[in-house]
Amino acid sequence: MNIGRVTLSRTLLICGLLLVVLALALIGAAVIGSQRLPFAGSLCALAGSSNCALSAEERAILFDIRLPRIVLAGAVGMCLAAAGAAYQALLRNPLAEPYLLGVSNGAAVGTMMALVFFTGYEWSRPIMAFAGAGAATFVVYRLARGRAGATPERLILAGVIVTTFLSSGIVFITTVMDATRIRSFTFWLLGDLSGTTGGLLAVAVVTAVVGGLVLTLNARSLNLMMLGERDAFDLGVEVARVRLIVFGAASLLVGASVASSGSVGYVGLVVPHLVRLSFGSDNRLVVPAAAIAGATFVIVADTLARTLIAPRELPVGAITALIGAPLFVYLLKRG
Amino acid sequence: MIFRARQTSLCELCGSPCLCGEYSRNWSHHRDTENHREFTEKKTFFVAFLLLATLISASACYRSGRQTALPSTETRVVTDEAGRQVRLPQKIDRIVSLAPNLTEIVYAVGAGDRLVGRTSYCDYPLAAKAVAEVGDTMQPSVERIIALKPQIVLISTASQLETFTRQLDEQGIAVYVTNPNSVDQVLSSIETLGELFGPPEPAKQVAADLRRRTQAVESAVANQPPIKVFYQVSDEPLYTIGRDAFLTDLIRRAGGVSVTAEVPTAFPRYSDEAALASQPEAIILPSGGSMGNANSKVASALKNSPAVRNNRVYKINDDLLARPGPRLIDGLEQLARALHPEAFK
Repeated sequence: MNIGRVTLSRTLLICGLLLVVLALALIGAAVIGSQRLPFAGSLCALAGSSNCALSAEERAILFDIRLPRIVLAGAVGMCLAAAGAAYQALLRNPLAEPYLLGVSNGAAVGTMMALVFFTGYEWSRPIMAFAGAGAATFVVYRLARGRAGATPERLILAGVIVTTFLSSGIVFITTVMDATRIRSFTFWLLGDLSGTTGGLLAVAVVTAVVGGLVLTLNARSLNLMMLGERDAFDLGVEVARVRLIVFGAASLLVGASVASSGSVGYVGLVVPHLVRLSFGSDNRLVVPAAAIAGATFVIVADTLARTLIAPRELPVGAITALIGAPLFVYLLKRG
Repeated sequence: MIFRARQTSLCELCGSPCLCGEYSRNWSHHRDTENHREFTEKKTFFVAFLLLATLISASACYRSGRQTALPSTETRVVTDEAGRQVRLPQKIDRIVSLAPNLTEIVYAVGAGDRLVGRTSYCDYPLAAKAVAEVGDTMQPSVERIIALKPQIVLISTASQLETFTRQLDEQGIAVYVTNPNSVDQVLSSIETLGELFGPPEPAKQVAADLRRRTQAVESAVANQPPIKVFYQVSDEPLYTIGRDAFLTDLIRRAGGVSVTAEVPTAFPRYSDEAALASQPEAIILPSGGSMGNANSKVASALKNSPAVRNNRVYKINDDLLARPGPRLIDGLEQLARALHPEAFK
């Protein structure tokens, strides 16, 4: 594979191309849905014209139901892919992913506790999710650092232990709660982007952009830390500070995505690896490119989730795994 | 040296060029350009992200003006069974039902011709199957519902549809929640919905008729000793009915007493040991309707109960028992006849 050097113009070019693809996916997702809308009228309305061949109901479907959901899908994809890329670089582990590390489950337990104990407060959901994701990250990281330092194997083991523990916590909460609510929770746990509310959507979008930005600005340090923390320190990286910032930003990203849509799996693993396989492993390119590609990936997956068996819906997490795993296998074999 | 070794094991673990080969190949010129480019590249990423941020926030902010779909005719405010204030037009002629029991009620009170949307589970009466589907009860498609322009959307319990309710509220579509916890509440639900849709007389008639039948059952079994009943919601895993289920009330009226009447929540997962210890005199298997052949066997923990020994296991169509609608009284009659055959001679 021809991996060119990462220059300013190359980064801009690749990110620009990925943004064009994202824009196309966004428009495509907006004109497809469980309810058929007039194609020309939808495009006309999306272009900002108020004088289109679209009834009031069709306008409402497009702008109040479909578009917020698509934007949420994009934000969630961005959060998870950027966080995945950062975890993989920082922990020097190709398998590091929010879901495998237990961070998603931490955020899920936080969100469920918010749903059970603070039903009335909309803001309790993202706050508890951040707290859960942060706590899970901290515990996994501490467990992974044995006397011999953090080895990749130890890290994955710690992640598995924490994930299992938290999964049991989730089962405990769903069992204690009324059975009639279990199915809706099961749906939510596999990723559910429907029913977006303004507040959570704003949280997800702002976190995706700010978190992605913070990670990108630390990408050079992440490059050095991929050599090992000792080497990075010798090369002038403030290891402790970078680690704190990156873990913090990644936890925020995962927390925001889980609070707004449950645990959408596979995005944090597949998208950064696809980006690395295509463009090389320099984090200054990988982090922003993974964020944009992640947004596209989840938008496409969610469009499939809400149209394949319309008017019923599939959980988006099932679709991301169904697309993600074979794609990943193909690229591994080819690479 | 230790760090190099670790790098290798990482590569083996990965089995791909992702974190290893490519990385070291890039590394040499990477370091050369680092110092010159650091500042400009940071700026570039910043710009790229700002672009993306603008794109996303622009699409997020771009919302059509709120159209309140309420027509100019006068409206009324009613309180639904979840205690919510619901504003409805005086005349309702477009109804969407999101639960099978509510669909049955709509038809029973004579408003079936005004039903414009239903879930995939709404299969009774047969006429309902000709009405447009809007998804299942847990994940209905909001897009479909809005496109059907309903004036009222009926849902059965608010708990799992909170965000969904808000989306319809924003569109000026009234959401009416029913939450029947007893036979009386089912009957009064029927009357209330009949009044909402108008005219109220057919619903009053239906409810009075159902009430009369309920009383007939109750007086028939009044002097019979109550039978200890185990209601098996599913065998594998074992679920039953608890304190909050309307079925506990139904069993009592049929001259029985649920052995799990004191268990918290409506549909608890029940332990095999407790089931074994409960020693029910009769077991009810709701099966054969929407459930198909599922739940048609007694759970293994109940194999040696008095009910099985005395051949008192009764299969009753689950659609009659699980849907708190007009057919619930059919279920009540079948249940009472099963528990006290001598009272109906």
